Amino acid sequence: MLVPLSWLKEYVNIKLPLKDLMWKMTEIGLTTETYTKLGDDVILDIEVTPNRADWLSIVGIARELSALQNTPMKFPVVSEIASPKANLPFKINNDFKLCPRYSAISIKGVVQAPSPKWMQDYLTKISLRPINNLVDVTNYVMFEFGNPIHVFDYDKLKNAEMTIMTTKGGEKFTSVDEISYRLPKDAIIFKSGSEVVDLCGIKGGANSGVSKSTKNILILVAIYDGKLIRRTSQKLDLLSDASRIFERREDTGGTLLTLQRTVNLMTELAGGNIASEIADVKKEKLKLSKLTLSLSNLEKVLGIKIEDKEVLATLDRLNLSPILKNNLIECTIPTYRADLKIEEDLIEEVARLFGYNKFPKTLPYGATPKDKIAYFFDPKPKLRLKELMFGAGFIEIQTLSLTSEEFINKSQLNLDLHIKIANPVSKEYEYLRTSLIPSLLSAVKLNSDIKKLKLYELNKVYFGPIDQSQEVYKLSGLEVNTSFRKFKASLDLIFDRLKVKDYDIKITTVTKSLWHPTKSGVIEKGDEFIGTFGEIHPKVLQNFKIKEKVWGFELDEKTLEKLTKKIIYKAPNQHPPQIEDITLIIPDWVKASGVIATIKKSDTHVSEIELTDIYQKSHTFRIWYQDPKKTMSDNDVKIIHNKILSNLNKKFEVNEKI
Amino acid sequence: MREEILNLKNEALAQIMDVVSFDDLENLKISYLGRKGKINDFIKKIGELPQTDKKEIGNLINDSKKVIEVTLAKKKEGLTSSLLSKKEWFDLTIPGNKTSAGHFHPQTTVLNEILDIFKYLGYQIADGPEIEKDYYNFEVLNFPPEHPARDAQQTMFFDVSNTSFKEGQVIPRTHTSAMQGRVMEASKPPLRVIVPGRCFRYEQVDASHGVEFWQVEGFVVDKAVHLTDLFGTIEFVLKSLFGQSAKIKFATTFFPFVEPGVDAYLECTVCDGRGCTFCKQTGWSEIMPAGMIHPNVLSKSKIDSKIWNGFAFAIGLSRVVSLRYQIDDLRVLHTPDLRILKQF
Repeated sequence: MLVPLSWLKEYVNIKLPLKDLMWKMTEIGLTTETYTKLGDDVILDIEVTPNRADWLSIVGIARELSALQNTPMKFPVVSEIASPKANLPFKINNDFKLCPRYSAISIKGVVQAPSPKWMQDYLTKISLRPINNLVDVTNYVMFEFGNPIHVFDYDKLKNAEMTIMTTKGGEKFTSVDEISYRLPKDAIIFKSGSEVVDLCGIKGGANSGVSKSTKNILILVAIYDGKLIRRTSQKLDLLSDASRIFERREDTGGTLLTLQRTVNLMTELAGGNIASEIADVKKEKLKLSKLTLSLSNLEKVLGIKIEDKEVLATLDRLNLSPILKNNLIECTIPTYRADLKIEEDLIEEVARLFGYNKFPKTLPYGATPKDKIAYFFDPKPKLRLKELMFGAGFIEIQTLSLTSEEFINKSQLNLDLHIKIANPVSKEYEYLRTSLIPSLLSAVKLNSDIKKLKLYELNKVYFGPIDQSQEVYKLSGLEVNTSFRKFKASLDLIFDRLKVKDYDIKITTVTKSLWHPTKSGVIEKGDEFIGTFGEIHPKVLQNFKIKEKVWGFELDEKTLEKLTKKIIYKAPNQHPPQIEDITLIIPDWVKASGVIATIKKSDTHVSEIELTDIYQKSHTFRIWYQDPKKTMSDNDVKIIHNKILSNLNKKFEVNEKI
Repeated sequence: MREEILNLKNEALAQIMDVVSFDDLENLKISYLGRKGKINDFIKKIGELPQTDKKEIGNLINDSKKVIEVTLAKKKEGLTSSLLSKKEWFDLTIPGNKTSAGHFHPQTTVLNEILDIFKYLGYQIADGPEIEKDYYNFEVLNFPPEHPARDAQQTMFFDVSNTSFKEGQVIPRTHTSAMQGRVMEASKPPLRVIVPGRCFRYEQVDASHGVEFWQVEGFVVDKAVHLTDLFGTIEFVLKSLFGQSAKIKFATTFFPFVEPGVDAYLECTVCDGRGCTFCKQTGWSEIMPAGMIHPNVLSKSKIDSKIWNGFAFAIGLSRVVSLRYQIDDLRVLHTPDLRILKQF
């Protein structure tokens, strides 16, 4: 909302220097962070919160400043409308559900002319284009008082009659600015004869608006159902100054005053004779609502005691007519303050004018909650994983969850599993990702000038369909330009430190996937799926224009968390181990994991095994033999050694290299 | 024999004097005092001596051994100090080999700090769905249907064709405040909760807007929670994050789910309030929208608002990270460029 300081000053004196004024306004809720200088005037740019329709008017803001500064309000003089001197009767067939109140009058013989310079200046300053006295007056008064006004060309209304109704959908409508619309269902309109003459609360019709030939006018100040106005304005993507006011549910009490002010200015600037009595039609007599503030609740919520006198004075400055009785303050709410509905709203009124920055600061008092809350989340396991990745030399990335169809296809992922956004900002952000690997691959591409790369991300992925959606945390990493064993070391580290043992690795059989058809596999433990790892599919790498080999893994974080074992201290073995290297010839199709498991299971005294070297088919294993009760002799070791070799031979036909 | 022993002693002392290296000294020690050393050779011969000489020669050998031991020790000390006094060139400025340590994303670091601050204040952490119902994202939070209050929460909608869902019924959550209703309706007050997480908005992407951002929602429900507690909590948290000299001020604002509504501003940590591009030349950064929980939110979440009240706030995590490290473009935070990430 643009507010020229000069216009504001017509209704309230302003004592504060500009910077202080802007902050004071911000402090009480009229957020004013920027302004522009225009000649010797200053135009404030005020962000009006959606609860305050009254702040979409200069008078409304002036009222607030008058309360803030405790200075009187100079309300514009509105004089009674004279009795009719002409006779232009009209008939409005109303429906109170759509229009709870309207005030209307007709004027005969207006003369169009440019509006006076002062009015044109004000309108220009708030970015409105002056047109002529008839149109300018309606805009001026709307911004002054906050009630939208519409002027009809009396002679263009069939039989001077119009009927309010909602659209069935598909009706044609051309607005005053000559734009044609097909109206959606449930828009509020006025029909005159068979024609739509007004898209109520949003824009007037070209067929009934002010034109060069207009001499006789019907002025209408009406209130419309804000929900319907908003719905229509959104469907047509058509916001107007009026619709912005209506969707905030504006001032039902202000129509008559607004009409009077409009007529005052209209007859002053465009002449003409009043041609009807004022029609002021409302469903029921306006009853101002009452709201009670308990002084003890005020103190309880604020945490401080504000003197009763000060509370009363504050509420009075806000025109809430406070009356104190038995520690309760009864307030009468003006119609322009429809935002005041509950006691807490009054508490805010007192607090904000007292000044938020004058409050002392405390911390909540009392016992800390004992029970575990719903959706309780322990961040430690994820942090532990991030620490392990840090230790293994990985750089953490954080990327967006939204992705594109192109990206999904490039990664050979199944589009059908992806959850789709119905109204994406762009094609780039249309689906929720089902894997973190594509983002990591594009990170590899982005850093293609760096030879050695280790990247990871720990975040959610999402699986459709939307009515059975799943959100799953994944830990995913990629390593570029490295050997398989170096890459595998990072995975081993995770499993080792989390004490996840005895998992199986199975070769994948999926052909169209992110993963290499033969050099990738899934990691499982019993029925638990832990994750997938291996080389990224060469076709996918090609799609991402990555030349190097890339190894990767994607692990299910929740499963890892579930399988993680607590660390329980074991006293170190006091007897030194015997260590020996055995070199075995391992034929194809024999898995190292099987060989290691067989060695391990051969005797309880085998305490540790390490694959130290691979040369062609020869694998050298270093084996630690240890007895908790004694130092093992060479002969003890010899017996186990032979047992190992015989087991390996029986199981895999694996033999020692001689 | 006496003479031989004395000769051996003198010979040893002379040799020790001449030694210039630790290795030679060690060799001398072995050749005289070792198991097969010269002293031991004499000791072995003691048995052959007449009874009368045994004691005297024995003492002589022992004394000589002691003298040699002491001289060896002194020489060792002397060698050590003379070696250390020698001016040897050693370049300490040679850079070390690169370690293999990784990097945490700045958002991880800052989020952990925030979680720690709140743990200290007795809060529990909750984690909830990003695919959210309109009910929790808006309705519970007192957003009137078809009201412009929803405009600030520019919302994306999921494609629900071929499902039983109605259009707009499920959305990517626009704020982690959506967890207020979920936690409240299923937990017993008193509550102190924070909810970190990803949120989504329908925004054109530029330096200060994104389709995704991270928020840390927090709320307290208890029997007598005051506005002063909210001010105090915000100040405690911001000073913990930005240092004790951080300047904070409060303003009134409107969110449907709080009343009174509060906006907390932090004096721009980049320009110290002088005005810069970070704070749009205002010197202040809007950082923690907050307020006292609206009674409608409590009662919709099955909490009796006559007994309980509370406050709620939200921290823009991305905003805190960018202020902390003076990042002038929000896109930097999710750009996986190593030239960026290796700085943290």
